[in-house]
Amino acid sequence: MRYARRAATILALTALVATSACSVEDDPGTSSDASATCGTGKDFLIGMSQANNAEPYRQVMNDDVTNAAKSVPGFKVVVSDAAQDNSKQVADVENFLSQGINLLIISPNEAKPLTAVVKKAYDQGIPVIVLDRKVEGDAYTAFIGGDNVAIGRAAGEYYAKTLLPQGGKVVEISGLPGSTPAAERAQGFREGIASNPKIEIVASQTAEWLREKGQSVMDAMLKANPDIDAVYSHNDPMAEGAYLAAKAAGKETAIKFTGIDALPVPSGGIKAVEQGRLQATFQYPTGGREAIDMAKKILVDCTKDVPKTTTLGTMQITKENAAEAYTTLGGKQ
Amino acid sequence: MNSPNPTAVAEAPPETPPRRRPIRLPRDRHAIVDSFFRFQSLFGLVAVFVIAIAVSPVRNGENVFLSSGNLANIVRAVSEIGIIAVGMTFVILIGGIDLSVGAVLGLAAVGSATLMVDSGLGILPTVLIVLFIGTAFGATQGAIVARIGIQSFIVTLAGLQAARGIARMWSGGLGIPIAYGDGPQEAPEAFSMLSGSINGVLPVPALLFLAIGVGALLVLRTTAFARHVYAIGGNEKAARLSGVPVRRVRIAVFAISGLLAALAGIIHAGQLNQGSPNDGAGYELDAIAAVVIGGTSLAGGSGSMGGTIAGALLLGILNNILALNNIDANVQLVVKGLVIVAAAALQKLRPRIA
Repeated sequence: MRYARRAATILALTALVATSACSVEDDPGTSSDASATCGTGKDFLIGMSQANNAEPYRQVMNDDVTNAAKSVPGFKVVVSDAAQDNSKQVADVENFLSQGINLLIISPNEAKPLTAVVKKAYDQGIPVIVLDRKVEGDAYTAFIGGDNVAIGRAAGEYYAKTLLPQGGKVVEISGLPGSTPAAERAQGFREGIASNPKIEIVASQTAEWLREKGQSVMDAMLKANPDIDAVYSHNDPMAEGAYLAAKAAGKETAIKFTGIDALPVPSGGIKAVEQGRLQATFQYPTGGREAIDMAKKILVDCTKDVPKTTTLGTMQITKENAAEAYTTLGGKQ
Repeated sequence: MNSPNPTAVAEAPPETPPRRRPIRLPRDRHAIVDSFFRFQSLFGLVAVFVIAIAVSPVRNGENVFLSSGNLANIVRAVSEIGIIAVGMTFVILIGGIDLSVGAVLGLAAVGSATLMVDSGLGILPTVLIVLFIGTAFGATQGAIVARIGIQSFIVTLAGLQAARGIARMWSGGLGIPIAYGDGPQEAPEAFSMLSGSINGVLPVPALLFLAIGVGALLVLRTTAFARHVYAIGGNEKAARLSGVPVRRVRIAVFAISGLLAALAGIIHAGQLNQGSPNDGAGYELDAIAAVVIGGTSLAGGSGSMGGTIAGALLLGILNNILALNNIDANVQLVVKGLVIVAAAALQKLRPRIA
C-alpha cells in the first residue's frame, strides 16, 4: 500500500508539473487562423526557428525578433531552439506548421538539411524569411543577412586611416578554419588595409572563435613578435582573450585591440569598447528587427514584392558612440 | 530476475533472520500493483498521450496533436533515438552502458554520404559497408570490455571521442551534402525514400523503428541469447558458472548497439540529405533516457524492450506537446528532466515480490 501511494503521489506530481507547464501560455491555436490573409487589425502567429540559443549572437537575434514584434499590434512570436541539431530544427518547423503559423522566420543550423522543410512551408503558402545563414535553392520569400567581407573591409579601412595611419605590425586572430565568416572577414580586412602599405600583417593564427583560445594564441604570438602594434580579431571574445594575454605580459596599453560582432549584452564587445579594453568593434547585425519589419510589410501592409535578398550594413563602434550604440541596439543596462 | 542480489542471499550467515518483513498485499491488489509497475512505461505512455490530447491546441475544430500529420511527425522524430535505444537496451540489460552511439551515428551519416557521393557506390554496398563499420566498432568496444575488463562507461567514452574524430577526418570537418541523380558526385535517387512516407502517412524511418523494435522484442522474449543477456545482468558470476558464454554475449551486445547506431546514422543522412560529422551529439543521453523511462534498470538484469519502445514514444510525445504549446525551450529541458527522475523513482519503488 505504501508503495502504491508513493507511486501515485509521484505520478500525480508529474502530471501536475506537465499540465501546469502546458498551461503557462495561452492557447495560440485559437487566436490565429491558418487561412488568415494579410491586412490590418488581424492576429498573426510568427514562428521563429533558431539554430542554437546557446550562442550569445543567436540569443540576441531572438531578443531582437521578439522585442520588435511587441511594437506590431496582433503579432505573436513563438521561438524554438534546435540546440545545434539539424533533425531537431526540422521537427521544430514541422511543429510550427502543425500549429498553423502565418509566417516563418528561420536561422538554419546548416543549409542542406533544412532546405526541404523550408520548401515545404513555402509551398504551403507561408512566407519564409531566412536569417543570417542561407538555405539552398530559392524556395523562400526573403533572405536577410550581414556581409562579412564588407565588415572586414570596414575594419581594414579603420586600421589604414584611423588606428594606424603611420603603419605598424598587426597580428590577426581568426575564426574557425573552413568557416565562411572567418574566410570573408580575413579577405575583407586585407582589402581594407591595402590603401596603407605600411601596415603589415606579421602573423595570423586561429583561435576558433573562442575567448580562451584567443588568450593562449596571443601568449604564443607575443613571444614570437614582441613589437606588435595592434590585434585584429575576427570576433570580440577572441579579442578579449588576447587582451588578457597582453595584460599578463604588461603590454595591454602598448597594443590596440579590435573585434567584430558588437553584441549589446554585458559580456559583449560594445561594453569592452566602452570600458577601454578594445579600441573598436564592428557590428555584425542579427537581422531580427529587419525580419519583423519585413513580416509587417508582408502580413499587415499586404506588400507582394519584398526584396529577395537584403544585405545589412555594419556599424563602427568606438569609445565615442559605444554607450549610445548599446542602447540603440537594444542592450539592457 | 527481479531479485536484486542472489549472491548476497547465498553468502548471508544462516543465523541472521531476514530484517525486512516481506510486503503483504491482498491478492488482487498485489496483482494490480505488480502489473502497474511491470507496465509502468506503457501506463506512462497512455497517460502522456491522454494529457497531450487534453492540452493540445485546437485549430479549425481539429485537435492539432491528433492530426495525422502531427502524429507522423512524432514517430518520425523519435525513430532514430528509438532505434539507438533498442540497441542500448541490450547493453544496459547486461549492466553496461554505450556512450558512443551518437558519435557512431555521426560517423555512419558521414560514411553514407561519402561512399555514395564521393566514391560513387550504390545504395546496397554503401549500406552494407556502413553497417559493417558500426558493427565492427561496437564489437571492438565489446571485446575491450570483455577481454581487458575495463568498464564499458570508460571504453565507450573513449569510443565516442574516437568515432567523432574519425568522422571529422573522413569528412574534412564539414558536412557532406547529398544531391540525388545519376551523374558523378550524386547519390542514387532511391536513397531519398528514407525521408518519405508509406502512402503519405507512415514515415519510412518510423516503419524501420517499428520493425526493429518488434524484432528485438521477439528476440528478448524467445531466444537463448536473451536469457544469457538477463543472466549476465542479474549475476555475472552465476551466469558464468552455469555455462553462459559471458564474453561472447558481451561482445555481441555491443556489436548490436553499434549496428543499430549505424543504421540510425544511415537514416539520419537520408532524412537530412547530408552527412555531418558533428551530428548525433547527445543522442546517447536521449537513448539512455528512453531506456530508463522504459523501466530497465541501469544495474542490469531487469527490463523489457516493450518498455524502451514506449519510453522513446513517450519522450517524443512530450517533446511534441511542449513545442505545440510553445513552452519555452529552457522549461522544456526541466520538464523532461523531471519526467526521467519520476520514471526512475517509480522503478525504485517497485515492490520486490518473488
